[in-house]
Amino acid sequence: MSRVRNRTLSSAELQAFGDELDAIRARVTADIGESDAKYIRKIVASVRWCGVAGRALLFLGAFVHSVLIPAWIAGVVLLALSKILENMELGHNVMHGQYDWMNDPKLNGHTYEWDIVATGDNWRKTHNFQHHTYTNVRGMDDDIGYGLLRIFPEQRWRPFYLMQPIIAMVFMVLFQWGVAIQELRVGRWFAGKKSTAQMRKDFRPVRRKMGRQLLKDYVVFPLLAGPFFLPVLLGNMLANTLRSIWTFIIIFCGHFTADAEVFPKESIRNESRGHWYLRQLRGSSNIAGGKLLNVLSGNLSHQIEHHFYPDLPANRYAAIAVEVKDICARYGQHYNTGSLPRQFGQVIWRIWRHALPSRPGRKLRVTEPALQGG
Amino acid sequence: MRIVVPMNAILAPRPLWPTRLARRVVSPALFDFWATRLNPLWTLEQPLAKLVSRSQASRDAVTLVLRPNRHWQGIQPGQHVNVGVEIDGRRLVRSYSPTVLEDGNLAITVKAIVGGLVSSHLARDARIGDVVALDTAFGDMVLPGKSADLLLLAAGSGITPMRALLRSLAARGMPVKVDLMYWARSHDELCFVDELDAMAVAHPRLHVRYLLTRDGAEPDPHVDTAPLDAIAALADRRVLACGPGGFVQAARSRLDGQVAQFDAEAFSLPTAAATGDEGEVQVHLARSGRTVQLSRGQSLLEGLEAQGIRPRHGCRMGICNTCACGRQSGTTRQLLTGDLSSEPSSQVRLCISAPSTDLILDL
Repeated sequence: MSRVRNRTLSSAELQAFGDELDAIRARVTADIGESDAKYIRKIVASVRWCGVAGRALLFLGAFVHSVLIPAWIAGVVLLALSKILENMELGHNVMHGQYDWMNDPKLNGHTYEWDIVATGDNWRKTHNFQHHTYTNVRGMDDDIGYGLLRIFPEQRWRPFYLMQPIIAMVFMVLFQWGVAIQELRVGRWFAGKKSTAQMRKDFRPVRRKMGRQLLKDYVVFPLLAGPFFLPVLLGNMLANTLRSIWTFIIIFCGHFTADAEVFPKESIRNESRGHWYLRQLRGSSNIAGGKLLNVLSGNLSHQIEHHFYPDLPANRYAAIAVEVKDICARYGQHYNTGSLPRQFGQVIWRIWRHALPSRPGRKLRVTEPALQGG
Repeated sequence: MRIVVPMNAILAPRPLWPTRLARRVVSPALFDFWATRLNPLWTLEQPLAKLVSRSQASRDAVTLVLRPNRHWQGIQPGQHVNVGVEIDGRRLVRSYSPTVLEDGNLAITVKAIVGGLVSSHLARDARIGDVVALDTAFGDMVLPGKSADLLLLAAGSGITPMRALLRSLAARGMPVKVDLMYWARSHDELCFVDELDAMAVAHPRLHVRYLLTRDGAEPDPHVDTAPLDAIAALADRRVLACGPGGFVQAARSRLDGQVAQFDAEAFSLPTAAATGDEGEVQVHLARSGRTVQLSRGQSLLEGLEAQGIRPRHGCRMGICNTCACGRQSGTTRQLLTGDLSSEPSSQVRLCISAPSTDLILDL
């Protein structure tokens, strides 16, 4: 795990590093316009058309039994595709405020509500603020193992983690539910650190959202098929599950690959902009792939660029990445990228390895001074 | 006592049950996506309007006729409405004072301003069939059923609410004495001359006077010095003024307190916003109704917090978008880039923006 050696930057270098990255932001911001608006509207249209086609095919299969299997499979694929696009390229990015400049109330970061059981409001808090500001800082970024998994040796080991290869599988299949209850801090409630009254209050909006989603996918649409409700119900269930698995894979590849680092709380004290960029870089990892991977991952295949510029339209990340890569090379900083099998293989390895007791390697001692003041 | 019943309250009937059901079951985003594919005006809630005709109103102004959809809740003569136009991917919002035509369509007159994105777009590029967004009508320059005699002061595009008021008064047989003073730089910049003249001929109680400040050998005086002797019983008049900020200010300082009532609407032309970070400005918080004095050298978030106001916020570094809030008017300076931004009705992040001019925020 200590294969990566990043050059320690002097404070002047760190300042210049931050300035160069800020300059990219300024340049892209000035260029945003028509083409970005067209792009996100095209995504909206893809979500709608794929969704309608998927549901129509599921109904077709349910009513015309001779084409049940091919129609059902195609229906599930299209519906899952629609849900993945809506979740990642549309919902996640719009909720970051990436398209607020359009001034379109339907694409507003504060009000957009996505098609998963988690509420947009909880997500805006845990993800947009906590995760993006305190990326991979222990005790401040809840996304480190989601309070459920031990991904880094710096997390304290407990016997519970011996089961984590199985827990991770279950978490993957039910990922949207995990995201939904993340902000509720169920663990704190179990431990008696959070009152039941508070829990009930926090759960109310989540329950409403869960109910709405369950009603839509598991009651209303299946009932529309009348006696043939079962294929529709199962199709919707599978589409939701496929979406959960896919988002789990993409998100875990973003911060839990072998070379991704975690940071102690002290590292963010008096953090300069250059430090902040450096921490984002070292805590994030990209997935190398083509345009299809970019759009299906909501451009989280460019996790590094997303963490540098979470508020810039994601369709810009691919172009930005060329410059970011060059800047990282010039400043001797590792740019963590690799194919999807390679990156996810490393995630799986981490889940298995740190189920067992482990200790941090030497790497932290090398990199921490650079993060603490250069 | 003056009681103004908002038109909205009268014109908003309880929607029919299919609409009520649709609102519970589908989101506006979903409904509008499919419905606007059939007809660009079919939405669940959003008032929209389609451009149905355009005609030249003066040398540099055009009149656009808009047909609103069923969500438009009406407007009183003299009021304004925010019109949202998409240009280069952005919905830009500007206020116009429409005249309601007999068929319910709205006529807005737009003067192309040099450097004005929306006005040039509407005056030159907007095509028949284009769709614009509408907001709820607003504004205090309305006439109650029984009114004092009026003095109307208009400059440039400020004539548009006056035209709407005059048409409404004419339809009621001009129940009070009305004097209109209408300023422009030259004669070919005047709008509605034929209509105003015809109205003055038909209604002896209406007097119209044009003042041209850059025409011919003897230019007419501005509002601060223009003679008002011809206005009978000036002290008993209700004065309505509309025009650029400077015009309204001059009219106010000359007449406010000297007349029965003074109401005004100012529109500001894009001014070279003051750069630099010294001094203080007034920030009005539209939702809470508070007005605070904030330093131009400090982020809005820090400034508001120093006043004991706690807007929602997160990272304090312009990343998480939690503190983004609407800026209705005024100019802000982005602290990271130094860029100035004065687009009305757009989002501004409080943590990385400092006020450059007086502001109105949605807080």
